[in-house]
Amino acid sequence: MDEAKTSSLEECRAILAAHHKRESLRAVLIHICLIACCVACIYPVLRILAVSLRPGDRIISTDLALIPAGATFVSYLRVFRETNFLIWLWNSLVITCVTSVIGVSLASTAGYAFSRFRFPGSKLGLTLLLGTQMIPAAMLLLPLFLMIMRLGLTNTYLGMIISYSVTSLPFSIWILKGYYDTIPRSLEEAALVDGTSRFGAFWRIVLPLSTPALSIAFLFNFTQAWNEYLVARVVLTDSFRYTWTLGLFELQGQYLTQWGMFAAASLMVTAPVLLVFLYSSKWLISGLTLGGVKG
Amino acid sequence: MIESLLQVVGFVALLAVLVVALELYLHAHFTQFDKRWFLPGMALGVPALALAGIFFSTEGRPDPGWTISLIGGLCVAEFLVALFFRYYVRGKHSLPIMMLAPGLLGLILLIVYPLIFEVYLAFHDLKLTTVMAWSGTGALPFVGFKQFCKVFVSSPLSGVTFFQLFLRTVWWTFINVVCHVVGGFALAILLNNQIRFKGIYRTFLVIPWAMPQVVAVLALRGEFHSQYGFINVMITRLLEWLPWLSRLGAEPVQWLSFHPLLTCTLINIWLGIPFMMVIILGGLQSISRHYYDAAAIDGASAFQQFRLITLPLLRPVLAPAITLGSIWTFNNINVIYLVTGQAGGTEDADILVSALYKAAFTYYRYSYSAAFAIVIFLILFTLSLLWVRYSKGTESAYG
Repeated sequence: MDEAKTSSLEECRAILAAHHKRESLRAVLIHICLIACCVACIYPVLRILAVSLRPGDRIISTDLALIPAGATFVSYLRVFRETNFLIWLWNSLVITCVTSVIGVSLASTAGYAFSRFRFPGSKLGLTLLLGTQMIPAAMLLLPLFLMIMRLGLTNTYLGMIISYSVTSLPFSIWILKGYYDTIPRSLEEAALVDGTSRFGAFWRIVLPLSTPALSIAFLFNFTQAWNEYLVARVVLTDSFRYTWTLGLFELQGQYLTQWGMFAAASLMVTAPVLLVFLYSSKWLISGLTLGGVKG
Repeated sequence: MIESLLQVVGFVALLAVLVVALELYLHAHFTQFDKRWFLPGMALGVPALALAGIFFSTEGRPDPGWTISLIGGLCVAEFLVALFFRYYVRGKHSLPIMMLAPGLLGLILLIVYPLIFEVYLAFHDLKLTTVMAWSGTGALPFVGFKQFCKVFVSSPLSGVTFFQLFLRTVWWTFINVVCHVVGGFALAILLNNQIRFKGIYRTFLVIPWAMPQVVAVLALRGEFHSQYGFINVMITRLLEWLPWLSRLGAEPVQWLSFHPLLTCTLINIWLGIPFMMVIILGGLQSISRHYYDAAAIDGASAFQQFRLITLPLLRPVLAPAITLGSIWTFNNINVIYLVTGQAGGTEDADILVSALYKAAFTYYRYSYSAAFAIVIFLILFTLSLLWVRYSKGTESAYG
């Protein structure tokens, strides 16, 4: 009897040990796969870093070392000295900030209208907003560009702001509508009982509560405009008006000698964008899935 | 630069004034509609304000013929609008309409109106030789359906035909979306395990998505360089190390010259997987553990669990993501233009939308491009309609 008990206990232990072994083997395999994928994601960034640190006479080489021999910051200095990098950044910043502020303010009220009210065409309107995603960017750009040209707004901030301001609007409206939907209506009702108007309830209660969603929408607008290339390519032709994306493309151009400057400049642009994105990714992602996918 | 900044400030101020004016206009129409003076007051007051505005902006010397026809038209239009508000709207839905109005107006001016203008362009003839005359007088010769015929007959680029472009686009969309979904699924499943360093892995894995696309594409393009790019350097080193491989025909590849579409596809796959991964991971985390436990007790294999639990429960997340992903990929010019768009770049990677961009802004064939754009949009619209019908993909998006 006793013997049988211990043997079954040992059997159990053996099974458990085997299970643990299999589990830990599985965990190791998962880690290996994930590490490999992570390397594939980071390696190109590290390569940019490597190229940007190479000394002038070795910018073009088949060297794969991440910290090249004789690493210097010469390329970084050359970016500031020999290109309009700071002007490009400033141009991008002005255009992007103004468009984002316009986009988010328009979306904040529009999203509320879609979230709280049923009016003729509200459902159709939401569908059409999704439908705008289907319009190819180049299709809209053509008439917009001709309009901007006729108004004499090529090579101005204004032309860029006008062409950017509504591109992210449909998506922002969806994000904000999704967030407003999660705010209980009872809060506004309480405010109404206390004597505010409906708009007052929105302005004083709902809007302050929606700061996270508003920042997500702002960030979304900001990154869209900040990283945009194709519209800028058409509207801006003067190197002093370039946004950084155009400047970077020109640096990378046909001349391989500027490869080091290209790498340095792109790293300086990418680093803050990456940090902001990674810092806010948790909210950004939840915002995207909330507004864009789950509805 | 200062001048340009002042222009921006002035524009923002103008925008604010316009929004306030719009809101006041709507407010008057929503609240005063049953006053006796409403109809005549609006039909005369609004044109009078417009007239004052015209006098102000032209410093007292407006073009008489143009002004009279405009004010007359405005009188009639405003009268009809006032009638509509008095007898049909009667102050209903005032708040949502007023909250929606500025955004709606922006969308109408910058999306709807350009689209109408695009249709107008497609039936007329605007190209490099007529664009100067057009920007002076605004007059264009009417050509009917000629531009649409040209889309199918003559090539938008110099060497590739419309149907080649179409097939290439379908292929490009299909391969990219399949790889995005499969790759995203694989990574999401790996990440959905109880493992250590999950947060760190996730952070690193979204880097391709977080990076500015211009930087990512241009940098990766450099890595495909035939001599100094990472990939060919690796191939060369591998061949030095294992010489027998070259006897099997392995050699460095001329990525950008001979396989531009493959290069673009590889780059775009790298860029697109993280988005799908994040969406799918979100879906996976919302599936309760209990389903899998119950299935395991019933003796379901891992594959059966995946097919019978994971897939059906992910459907509401997956279907819209695939729909949107396909549309985005179909419309993706960025990668292809940044890789092959420089002067003298190859046409072997062009899909419909990038050919459209080049036809409009490299070859300046404006009217032709307008017709081409409309054809592309109709194709995409039909395809998405079929897809939605087939998958009921947007069902969950309406919540």
